[in-house]
Amino acid sequence: MKVSRSVEVVVGDWPASPEVAAVVEAAGAVLAWDVLGGGAVPAARVHDPVRAAEWLWEVYGDAADAILGDADDVDVPDVGDWQVRDACRVVAQLNWAEAWWPASAVAGVPALDSGVLGAERAVAVSTVEHVLDDPDAVERALASVVPLDVAASDPGLAALAGRVAALADDYGVVLAPAAVPDRSEFALAAGGADGVGGVTVLSGVSTVDWALVPQGVVDAAAPAEWAVVRRQGSTVLDVSVAAGPRPGRLAARMGEVDVALDVVDGLGRITGSAPVPPAVLLLPPDRRVVTVYAPGFAVPALPEPGAEARRAAIIEYARSRVGSPGATATERTAR
Amino acid sequence: MGTARAATATLPRGSVVARAWAALGDAVAPLSNPAGRPLTRTVKLILDPLVLRPVSNPEFAAGAIAVEHVDALRSRIADAGPVLAATARWFVVLKKERRRQWITDGNPQDLYFQRCFELATGHGPPGPDADRVAASVLAEVHGQGGPTVAGLRDFVTDPANAEELNRQLDAAWAAAGAAANAAADAAVDAAVDVAVDVAVDVARPAVMATDGFLATCAVAPDRALFGELVVGSAGSAGAAELDRPGVALAHGLTDRDRPVRPELGRSASKRNLPKPFDRSVLERLFAPLTMAFGRDGLADVPTLVRREISRSAGAWQLGDEESRLVLLLGRDASAGLVGRPSGAPGTAAARLRSRWEREAYVHRVLRMPSAVPPEVRADVHGVREAYLRRLWVRLHGRELRGEAVAAEQVWDLLDGVLRSVILDQRDRLRSALEREAVA
Repeated sequence: MKVSRSVEVVVGDWPASPEVAAVVEAAGAVLAWDVLGGGAVPAARVHDPVRAAEWLWEVYGDAADAILGDADDVDVPDVGDWQVRDACRVVAQLNWAEAWWPASAVAGVPALDSGVLGAERAVAVSTVEHVLDDPDAVERALASVVPLDVAASDPGLAALAGRVAALADDYGVVLAPAAVPDRSEFALAAGGADGVGGVTVLSGVSTVDWALVPQGVVDAAAPAEWAVVRRQGSTVLDVSVAAGPRPGRLAARMGEVDVALDVVDGLGRITGSAPVPPAVLLLPPDRRVVTVYAPGFAVPALPEPGAEARRAAIIEYARSRVGSPGATATERTAR
Repeated sequence: MGTARAATATLPRGSVVARAWAALGDAVAPLSNPAGRPLTRTVKLILDPLVLRPVSNPEFAAGAIAVEHVDALRSRIADAGPVLAATARWFVVLKKERRRQWITDGNPQDLYFQRCFELATGHGPPGPDADRVAASVLAEVHGQGGPTVAGLRDFVTDPANAEELNRQLDAAWAAAGAAANAAADAAVDAAVDVAVDVAVDVARPAVMATDGFLATCAVAPDRALFGELVVGSAGSAGAAELDRPGVALAHGLTDRDRPVRPELGRSASKRNLPKPFDRSVLERLFAPLTMAFGRDGLADVPTLVRREISRSAGAWQLGDEESRLVLLLGRDASAGLVGRPSGAPGTAAARLRSRWEREAYVHRVLRMPSAVPPEVRADVHGVREAYLRRLWVRLHGRELRGEAVAAEQVWDLLDGVLRSVILDQRDRLRSALEREAVA
């Protein structure tokens, strides 16, 4: 692996974009795996070599010295005790999944169970406590654990529930007693089916930039559909987007116009419409773009170039993780 | 063993300890994590202070271990094997007794590890009377001895005391007000002397004086310089401005234009505590009393209250010159968090700034909001104020527990406070998001 030195020591190739980066904040360094890259050895940015030296051998073995020395290229041995590195990977992978897992009914990527995720992460965090930047990482991880809805048929999950309970005991953390309410039930008003009529003058689809909406609010693979409709003498913009596992309020912007998307229709889509000046019909095609975003979460922005292909690859990757023995329990048991 | 290692002739202590620990086998599993490494608190509370003791064996200090000391370190841990195995067994017994009594207070590792080591040293492994011994240890640790929140509330709200306590508050604040100018002038003079001693720019004495210590405190804290700053009352001098309108407010320590004399207070709740200088005496003492860990270091209620009254009238509303200095150091080091970066690479200011900038990246990777919800906005934009508040609370808590800050601990404290502010912001952003979703 390449090693470069400036203000930080950088080991390996850093993941190019946030949505493929599985990251662990370690003491004196940040570790990152590219989820699409698939390697076992992470990239690292070491900002405090003294702190990192205490544990860097757990991740790079004998190469750790050379990394902190003056090497510009190191070989990380294959053979070794990599339990801690592998657990770091689990923590990183679950941090990634919590943020970017592309649950999508359209693409056939089932949602993750946040109970399994929290429990599996807490156990992995306890394995790498000595590596992490946060001295209270285990307590913090346990604080976000919600009770597991353990299917009796899954002995793996039952064992996980037992381990997390023992861990909570060891750290004196009382696990949250009740599951969080299912937000989808009362987050949004239910509306009638769409098609109040009118004449569609213009319509189109646009992809939803993941970075503009919180995890799980929209179906990760479905585009936003929009139409400019003449209805009862006025011009309105209708926008709808397929909801994800945890629907919430959204907005859509075309030009200067904002449309609140706060109704779930009979097809499980988050929809809304707003009057627009007829002048939108005169917008040049490249400005007739609808950007879906979550107000208070992000401001509308243009997607990064290459995002679409990368996201297709992430959806493909997520699908391959479900049921895969090499994946985390959280991904494996998504349904 | 790699050639690089041979050249540097040191090994990371973490790996030496891990190997020695592994040799102890399953007997120490209760003190180990799932990968078989010693728990972080095993190292912090048992191996470091009770087995390796770097204070008297500097060659075993955290960091790099010279190869010629590696065998000594290993055999030190191996020799402690039987005691450590007994410690582990005592920990299991204490946890069992804790469960039996439905105790949920505090972290068992923090509360029991050193007790277990004492038991292991004194009694050997748990014997037939283990349950009885465990019960008496728990009674001691969780016992109602020492100050309590209820005792504190009763004391300050008892009309028989309130009048006298209010009088003390008035007197302390009146004296502080009268002495403020003179004391501040004297302290500035003293700081100038220190600055001259260490041959730095005399034009900006207080600031330059901390620069020298902050430049290296992360890697090579200058104990002598720290001592000079304490003796020269640099921390007190740095508080001289706080009485001027808007200054303490800009530090995030109060919502008022100038600090006012605190009330005794009648109640306190962990949520929505006012800013530090706006807290009543009761609110200041309340949080440390609710923590299970470290309570045995606290004085009795009347003493706590009396000290708090005089503390509240002191510079930075802290009692020890060390804490005042650390708050000043924190103020200077955190100046570069917002605006243009300040500080050469390696200084405390540059390191804090780099932590804050790293957070912006981690934020994107964790898909945290890029727009800031209104309820967290003040914290994000006022990171320096949040930082100084948290630092004040830490220093205040240490004063109550009698834990003076040594030069070697300053950087961990300054850095840890920013980490804690950042992680809190993340938690608050997450819950703001969840509220958004159910709104």
